Amino acid sequence: MIVTPTMLGQVVISGLLAGSLYAMVALGLGLIFGVMRVLNVAHGPLLMLGAYTTFWLFHWWGLNPYVSIVVSMPVLFIVGMVLQRVFVRRVVDAPELSSLLLTFGIGIALVNLAQLAFTSDLRSVEFLTGSFLVGPFAFSKARVIACGFAIAITTGAFLFLQKTRLGKALRAVSQSREVAQVCGIDVQKIHMIAFGMASALAAAGGSLVAVMVAIQPEMGQVYTFKSFLVIVLGGAGSYPGALLGGLLLGLVEQLSSLYLTTQVNEAVAYVLLVLVLLIRPTGILKGRAA
Amino acid sequence: MRRWFPVVLGVAFVLLALYPLQATGYGIRVMLQLFMWIALAQSWNLISGLTGYVSFGHVAFFGMGAYTAGILIARADWPWLVACLAGGVAAMLFALLIGFPCLRLKGPYFAISMLGLNEVLRVVVSYWESLTGGGNGLSLPTLHASVPIYYAMGATAALVTALTFVIVTSRFGLRLMTIREDEVAAEAMGIDTFRYKLYAFLLSAVGPGIVGGLTARDQGYIEPISVFPLVTTITMIVMALFGGKGTIWGPVLGAVLLFTFQEIVWARYIYLHQLLFGAIIVAVVLLMPRGILGVLQQKYRLPRTI
Repeated sequence: MIVTPTMLGQVVISGLLAGSLYAMVALGLGLIFGVMRVLNVAHGPLLMLGAYTTFWLFHWWGLNPYVSIVVSMPVLFIVGMVLQRVFVRRVVDAPELSSLLLTFGIGIALVNLAQLAFTSDLRSVEFLTGSFLVGPFAFSKARVIACGFAIAITTGAFLFLQKTRLGKALRAVSQSREVAQVCGIDVQKIHMIAFGMASALAAAGGSLVAVMVAIQPEMGQVYTFKSFLVIVLGGAGSYPGALLGGLLLGLVEQLSSLYLTTQVNEAVAYVLLVLVLLIRPTGILKGRAA
Repeated sequence: MRRWFPVVLGVAFVLLALYPLQATGYGIRVMLQLFMWIALAQSWNLISGLTGYVSFGHVAFFGMGAYTAGILIARADWPWLVACLAGGVAAMLFALLIGFPCLRLKGPYFAISMLGLNEVLRVVVSYWESLTGGGNGLSLPTLHASVPIYYAMGATAALVTALTFVIVTSRFGLRLMTIREDEVAAEAMGIDTFRYKLYAFLLSAVGPGIVGGLTARDQGYIEPISVFPLVTTITMIVMALFGGKGTIWGPVLGAVLLFTFQEIVWARYIYLHQLLFGAIIVAVVLLMPRGILGVLQQKYRLPRTI
C-alpha cells in the first residue's frame, strides 16, 4: 500500500485528536497514582458511568451532550470521593496487590450494577454526525469538538494544579505525604479530592465518547487499559507526562492501523508499553522510579 | 494436629481417587474445575505469595499451555497427555523469555507489565489465524476421556501443592520469603535475588501451562477470549488470598471454599454474579488480607508449614 502525504497527515491529526482525549482520561488515573500510589482499575467503569449520565440526560430531556458534562463531572466527583472515603482509603498504604484487587472488585461491581440498572443494550447518543472538510482532510465533527473540550478541561485541571492553593497542596502530597502532613495539609482530604477529580476527568471522557461510540456497561475496560499505557508511557506520577503519553498513544494507534492492520494496533500499544517499562521504566518524562 | 493431618490427607486422596468409579459426568466436571482452580491458585501463590511480586497476568501461562496443547493435538496429532506436558514446557519457556526483563521491575510496574504481556499474547493468538484459528477459535478432535483427564488434573493440583510444600520448607523458600519481606536486605545478605525470583517464576508457570492444556483437551474448543481473560487471573489471586497467600494449604482452602460458593450461590443468581464477586473481593481485601490461614496462624501458634 502506498501512503501518500495526505493520508499520513490525516492519520497524524486523527491520532492527535484521539490522543487528547486519552490524555485527559489518563490524567485522572495518573493523579490517583501520583498522590496515593494506587492504580485504579475502576477508572474505566467510572468513565462508563459518565457516558450513561450523558445518555440519560439526552434521552429524557434532550440535553445537549456537551452541556451534560457540567452534570456528569460533579456527579462522578462525588462518586469518586465516596469510593475513596469508604473503600480506597483503607488500602492506600497496603501493598499494591490490595489496591489492584480492591479497585478491580469495585469496577466489576459497578459494571454489574450498570447492567442491572440500564441493561446491556447498546445505546447511542445521536447528536453530531458528519465531518469538517479542511482542504484535503476530513475530520469527524464529534472528534474535533471532543478534542477541543478535552484540551479545555485538561488545561483547567493543570491550572488548578499549578495556580490554586488546593492544587499546590495536592502536588505537595504527591511529592511527599509525610512532609505535606507536617506542613499542615489534611492528607485524607487531599486524597478524596484527588480521587474525585480523577473520577470527574473520567466522567468528562465518558460524556465526550458517548457521542462517538456505542454505550454499554463494559465499554470502560478498554479505557482502563489505555490509561495504564498512557501513564506508563509518559512517566507514572508525572502530570505533563500523561499528556505526552496520551498524544503518543493516539498517534501510535492510528499509525499502526495505517501501516499494519487495525487488529494489531492494540498489541502494538502493549508492546510499546512493555518496551518503555524495560528501557526506561520512569517513562518518557521522568516519573517515579520503578 | 500433626498426627491426624496426614491421615485426613490420605483418606481424602483415596476418596478422590475412587470418586470416578461412581460419579456422574457432572460430578467429574465439577471436580475437574476444582482441581484446575487449586493448581492455578497454588501456582500464583508460588511467585506472588512467596516473593511478593504480583503477577497480574498469570492467565497468560494458562492460555499459552492451552494453545500449545491444542495446536499439537489438533494439527500434529500428538497424544493429549504429552501435548499437555508440552503445554507446561511452553509456558515455562514463555516465562523464561519474559522473566528476564519483567522481574527487574518492581511493585506496580511488574503487575502492569504482566497485564500488558497477557494482552499482547491474546492479540498475537487472535491474529495468527493460520496456526491458532484466530478469533474463530480452535476445535480439537472429539475424545471422551473425562476420567483420565480427571486424574491428570488432580495429579497436577497435587504436584503443584507438593512442590509448594517442598519449597516452603526449604532454604530456597526461605530465600524467596526474604525477598518478599525486604529485597534490599536479601541482596545485602548475599542472596542472588534475581536468580531465585526467576526460578520461582518458572516453577509458577508450569502448573498453569499443564492445566491450560488439560482444560483445552477437556472442553475440546478454545478461543482467545476464553483462555486469556483478566478475570481468571483475578479469581486465582482471590482464591489464594482468601485461603492465605504464602502458605501451603491456603490456596487449596481458598479454591475449595470459593469454588463451592460459586457452584452453590452464583449459579442461582446469575445476574448478580459479578456484583457478588466484586463484593467478595472487596471483603477479602478489606477484612482479611492475610487470609483464613494467615489469621489462624496469627491467633494460634500454628507451624509455618501449613
